Amino acid sequence: MADEFMIQFENVSKYYDNRTALRSITFSIEKGEMVFVTGPSGSGKTTLLKLIYLAEKPEEGSISIAGWDTITLKESSIPIVRQNIGVVFQDFKLLNNLNVFDNVALALRIRGVSEKELKTRVYESLRMVHLRHRADSYPLSLSGGEQQRVAIARAIVGEPVVILADEPTGNVDPDTSAGIIRTLREINLRGATILIATHNRELFRNTGRRVLKLDSGNFAGEELG
Amino acid sequence: MAAPYAFRLALKSILNDRWINLLSTLTIASGIFIAALIGLSVYNFDLATGKLPEKFSVMLYLKDNLSKDEKDNIMDTLRREESIERVYYIPKDEALKELKALFKDAPYVVEGLGENPLYDSIEIKLKKEAVGPEIVRRLADKVGKMAGVAEIGYGEKFLSTIYSIKMGMRAIGFVFVSIMAAAMVFVCYSTVKILFYRKKEEIETYKLIGATRGFIRAPFIIEGAAIGLSGGLLSLIGVFSLYYMFFERLSLAIPLFKFIIFPVAAFLVLPLAGLVLGMAGAAIAIGRIRY
Repeated sequence: MADEFMIQFENVSKYYDNRTALRSITFSIEKGEMVFVTGPSGSGKTTLLKLIYLAEKPEEGSISIAGWDTITLKESSIPIVRQNIGVVFQDFKLLNNLNVFDNVALALRIRGVSEKELKTRVYESLRMVHLRHRADSYPLSLSGGEQQRVAIARAIVGEPVVILADEPTGNVDPDTSAGIIRTLREINLRGATILIATHNRELFRNTGRRVLKLDSGNFAGEELG
Repeated sequence: MAAPYAFRLALKSILNDRWINLLSTLTIASGIFIAALIGLSVYNFDLATGKLPEKFSVMLYLKDNLSKDEKDNIMDTLRREESIERVYYIPKDEALKELKALFKDAPYVVEGLGENPLYDSIEIKLKKEAVGPEIVRRLADKVGKMAGVAEIGYGEKFLSTIYSIKMGMRAIGFVFVSIMAAAMVFVCYSTVKILFYRKKEEIETYKLIGATRGFIRAPFIIEGAAIGLSGGLLSLIGVFSLYYMFFERLSLAIPLFKFIIFPVAAFLVLPLAGLVLGMAGAAIAIGRIRY
């Protein structure tokens, strides 16, 4: 595998019971790229992301993330790999008993960052997603778009090498969508490799970025947005 | 992980689920309280029987008309025995004097004796570790067969009864304390398991964003430790109060209770036992975290 590839799939297949979620998928993403993966609901986008952040294991094929061969990876090394991947989950996965600050800070606390450094970095991330003023609020008091931005702040605060976003604009209006994509682009400019799964073609139209297409678990080609 | 954060999470959880935690703490406190009372009884009985070797002796009664050489020979043979600490020769005249001194308030008991009916005797003091029914019986069999020995005497029944009670109490104590310890671990296990299930989604998120096993476990272990420690401290307060209010005061009226001792080590042992049992229960409840 070439060193410049941050994500590489080779003939990866994933099955759930008798259903094929992904069939023999092969692609690679270079370091610093921002790539979209698209397809209708049930096409396998979320499964593909889950394979990257190690929530699922493929039945066939090999996957390499930032140099780690995820197939041969020991279970005890999974947290280390995950600390290098920031994920914006489709359902956000924010902890409702923690305020916005603590939700974002969690990503640093698991890395053992000191409380002093943590404060600066959390506020910087919240500033990037324009939520500095909501640091003390609790997730349930935020709108869907705000919750999404908190999830983005948590994903970027640890400065991971790879950022995955699963339908990051699924619950927000077009203006907020544009804002979120702008934020992700800014983060990409800082060097992070970003993979965005979306069924919303407006997100990558005219971006000039690579778009990987999935259809019913099959790789359906690649285009430029 | 940042340890203060784990403590903060644990404290938050203890306060959020205060009723279930309070109930577990009280259950553990009563368990340790009962176990401590049993332990205290065994400890005091052990202490009382521990003084037995100093008081205990085997009496060897010699036949009449033994020569000095024969007596010396018996004494030398006894001194060579491994289990014997010291031997004292008691002439029969001295024994009679002691008897008279014993019955000085009722001299008529010994007045009619005429010729001294007592034997010359040898008092055998055993080494502390040898004072047990089995060793004493073997020694008595052996020295009883020596030439010149008329009779041998020791409180055989008394000794074996005391030792049976002592061993019985130790065994019962051990079984009871073990059952209680298992029950305490189970209480902590159940509490932490419930909390763990309640926080399943939260833990799933922790795992997905890269939290290590230690990071996830720490607050639960701290919570288990806090529940166990509180239970241990409450039981200590209970046992000490009972000792102070009951035995201390009772001993003013009944001196026998003066001998019941509250060991200082309990101030450390009871809270520590609660802490360890609480942590063990929590650790078992969390089990192996799988990614």
